[in-house]
Amino acid sequence: MISAPRKTGLVFFPAFDWAISPEHPEREERLLYTQDQVMEEGLLDIPGIVEYRVRPAAYEDIQRAHFCVPDEAAVTTKSHLISAGGCLVAADAVLKGEVESAFALVRPPGHHAMRVVHGNRGFCNINIEAVMIEYIRTHYGIRKVAIVDTDCHHGDGTQDIYWHDPNTLFISIHQDGRTLYPGSGFPNESGGPNAQGKTVNIPLPPQTGEKGFLYALDELVMPLLEEFGPEIVINSAGQDNHFNDPITNMNFSARGYAILNERLKPDIAVLEGGYAIENALPYVNVGIIMAMAGLDTSFVKEPNYEKDYRPQSRDVTLNIEQLVETLKDLFLRGGLKKKPYDEGQILERKRDIFYDTDGIQERQNEKIRCCSHCAGAFSISSTASTGQHIMGVHIPMEACPACRKTALNWFQTGRKGAFRHVYLQDRDRGVYDVV
Amino acid sequence: MILGLDVGGTQTDTVLIDGDRILKATKNPTGDNLLLTLRTALDGILSGVEPEQIERMAFSTTLATNAIVEDRLGRTGMIISAGPGIDPACFSVGPSFHVVEGCLDHQGFEAVPLDKSSVMEAAEKIQGEGINTIGVVGKFSVRNAAHELQISDWVKGLFSHVTMGHSVSGGLNFPRRIFTTYLNASLHELHTAFSGALTHILDEKNLHGPRYLLKPDGGTIDLMRSAGSPARTAQSGPAASVMGALALDGCRGATLVLDVGGTTTDMSVVLDGMPLLNPHGVKLGLYKTLIRSIITHSLGTGGDSVVQVKTNGKITVGPLRKGPPVAFGGAVATPTDAMVTLGLLALGNKVAAKAAMENLGGALGCNAEATAERVLQQMAETIAHSARAFVYNINAQPVYTIHQVLNEEKIVPTSVLIVGGPAPQLAPYVEKALGLPCRVPPHYDVANAVGAAVARVTAQVTLQADTERGTVIIPEAGEEHKTDRRFDMDQAIAMARKTLCRQAMTIGAENNSLETVITEKQVFNMIRGYRTVGRNIRLKMSITPGLIPQWKRSL
Repeated sequence: MISAPRKTGLVFFPAFDWAISPEHPEREERLLYTQDQVMEEGLLDIPGIVEYRVRPAAYEDIQRAHFCVPDEAAVTTKSHLISAGGCLVAADAVLKGEVESAFALVRPPGHHAMRVVHGNRGFCNINIEAVMIEYIRTHYGIRKVAIVDTDCHHGDGTQDIYWHDPNTLFISIHQDGRTLYPGSGFPNESGGPNAQGKTVNIPLPPQTGEKGFLYALDELVMPLLEEFGPEIVINSAGQDNHFNDPITNMNFSARGYAILNERLKPDIAVLEGGYAIENALPYVNVGIIMAMAGLDTSFVKEPNYEKDYRPQSRDVTLNIEQLVETLKDLFLRGGLKKKPYDEGQILERKRDIFYDTDGIQERQNEKIRCCSHCAGAFSISSTASTGQHIMGVHIPMEACPACRKTALNWFQTGRKGAFRHVYLQDRDRGVYDVV
Repeated sequence: MILGLDVGGTQTDTVLIDGDRILKATKNPTGDNLLLTLRTALDGILSGVEPEQIERMAFSTTLATNAIVEDRLGRTGMIISAGPGIDPACFSVGPSFHVVEGCLDHQGFEAVPLDKSSVMEAAEKIQGEGINTIGVVGKFSVRNAAHELQISDWVKGLFSHVTMGHSVSGGLNFPRRIFTTYLNASLHELHTAFSGALTHILDEKNLHGPRYLLKPDGGTIDLMRSAGSPARTAQSGPAASVMGALALDGCRGATLVLDVGGTTTDMSVVLDGMPLLNPHGVKLGLYKTLIRSIITHSLGTGGDSVVQVKTNGKITVGPLRKGPPVAFGGAVATPTDAMVTLGLLALGNKVAAKAAMENLGGALGCNAEATAERVLQQMAETIAHSARAFVYNINAQPVYTIHQVLNEEKIVPTSVLIVGGPAPQLAPYVEKALGLPCRVPPHYDVANAVGAAVARVTAQVTLQADTERGTVIIPEAGEEHKTDRRFDMDQAIAMARKTLCRQAMTIGAENNSLETVITEKQVFNMIRGYRTVGRNIRLKMSITPGLIPQWKRSL
């Protein structure tokens, strides 16, 4: 009889009654065949694999990670709350020590959702990883977190939320943004003034295969994690790098995902994208669950693997080796020259953000206080084509008195301004205020 | 008149029912020889009764359970086709287990064809070992039975009996399908011999009415038809007591049913007259199966459990049992001795029971009566603790739709029904420990035999239609039809209902007890690219556990 060497929690929520629209990739059917495969394999009967029941997240959980405009109710559905709640269940299972690791196999996904939320971007409304991480920080006293996003699309939402946080290492491995949505995620995007080098983007060329992914993992991701020394490692486990995926151009496989997971050994994995619902997801998910549980995955593969899988070309291999070399220089060998800023200096940046799913245009103006004592206070003023005009002020955990003071000043000034709503996200005191 | 019989671990109970009256109830010790036990029990209940008056009889036996637990299963070979996934060698079972090439995907499309030469090679190897029973199981065979049918067709000439995986259940779960198929195949010979011998005994006694065996889901199956799936008659004891509780009480609202026996206390939950069913299947011995069952939990605490006082002054009841209570000549103090001491039970040797309690209470500084009181309190506490965990686990089962998450209907028992020998003595203690009103129905001590007697035939079918593949399949019934794009849920329901009723009639259901319910119903549009290519319909329909219409007890 078989049993799992590593005790693993599984939170499965296929949301069989929710879709963005009837024919959208993010629809009821998406995890149907994954469920079939997981059930047929009998994975849930294996001693050491424990299935947990989901619960919805509360608005309070969302407010630790987002400024929802105008409020949470307007930009989330029940399904988003349950998907995020599924991640919280996974986090509880791991942090209470009931299991060694957990996989939140939930939908809808979240890694394109940024801190300010006006609507749906890239099938995401709520960043389910960020909601989970901030929950973990609040309830379990953990600070240093690493996120390895292996979705084929750049995790621009997660990058945005943790851009200024020196306690979060965000690594995204994805298909080159010049060839795929959302068009970002280049090596020069490496974190805000207080968190320089804490965002690492690894844009792989189209047609990257098993070899390329695992090379980037071994050469770059693992040493970066070792250097950072996180208390917990999260994998945003998108599955659209698969050779059968209809909306991307990569060449990864179920075996590849399983090996990646075996080596990365994330504490918590969270499903992100992946839309080859009948010929990739069932096998990739089985591979990930088995790898997390420490089971032998050598028999896991797609029925069409022999017929359709092609190892990556020599050109792709050379291209990846070059990229990894460049990134190693920057992030592992001290090549990234950190820009010096004056203590207390306020930096500003302006950005335009497009919500492809909902067709919303947003313009942001962000101010961050450069600080060597804490993650730094920041404020975002945001105007969207929906007519919304808001300001959000963020006070980080363990904020220094100077940053707190600056933030409160911004908030007071904002209240007198022309904003429709002004939000204060005080992570240090656990307060969320809206005026 | 209806005859019901339940073979328990120590006692075999038999009842004779006429309309709403229990005419007669007898108890016999359960011996090592099952047929002999049955014969003795029948002799006892039938004395002074005209056998022609008995129009129906049902038995809850331990044949399959004991054969599995004691590993007295017939030698059975297995031929398995799996394809990618967990290494099928992990589920190796029986003396001759062979994996052959061939693979279907989750939709039932063939990914790798079967290899006839490796199938024949495996079959000949099994035959060469002198085995004449086999099980044939394929991964996803409930989506497309073609591979199992093909293997079975190739090898059937070499064996006297073949069980195919898709016929044992329509549910997904390849390892459970392997084990369920194995158990059914390996019990076949034993069960056939048993049902033949029982038939002979019944004929001899001029009992010619319909004959049924009880299943773990609280339903019955015709004795002679049960040989096709003998594993379905295992572990029927707990179901018998639940059905008995239902028959004698009605179990309105959310009722926690406790069956307190000598060695164990079995618990279950009945919701408005409907026992809760296990969504996956019952575990038989070491094997997790796809056989539907009532959710029950067996706690090792009963009237004859060993009572001990720990060094910290804590009293424990069970899980060990060492012979009879002191009051009945045993050596170790039990809750039964506590009942005798307190005068709750006017049986056995009270002096000895009292001495045992006094001896036990020495360390606690209590006299016999106070000790006995504490023993019963502790027994009730132990049961209450386990019952709370049991209910918690039922409520913790995962759900997969927003609707279910948001409309969660937590099961909160509002009353307790106790059956089994010590039920009336224990009820006040359990009432206090659980803080819920406790009822003890009439005939509480033969509830299981009553349950077997009046349970109706149950059956279920699993329909899956895939209009992209152009098929609709009901594996348990061996049905597969071609279908077109227009096949919809209404047609699916009509088809499933027809098949279900036919299946139920085949295994002994009567025309007037074919109440069908839909237990699962899902339809998905299948979209490839941005085009709808078909419809995926999943439907489960059952005749759920219930009572035969002849049972007219006014509740």
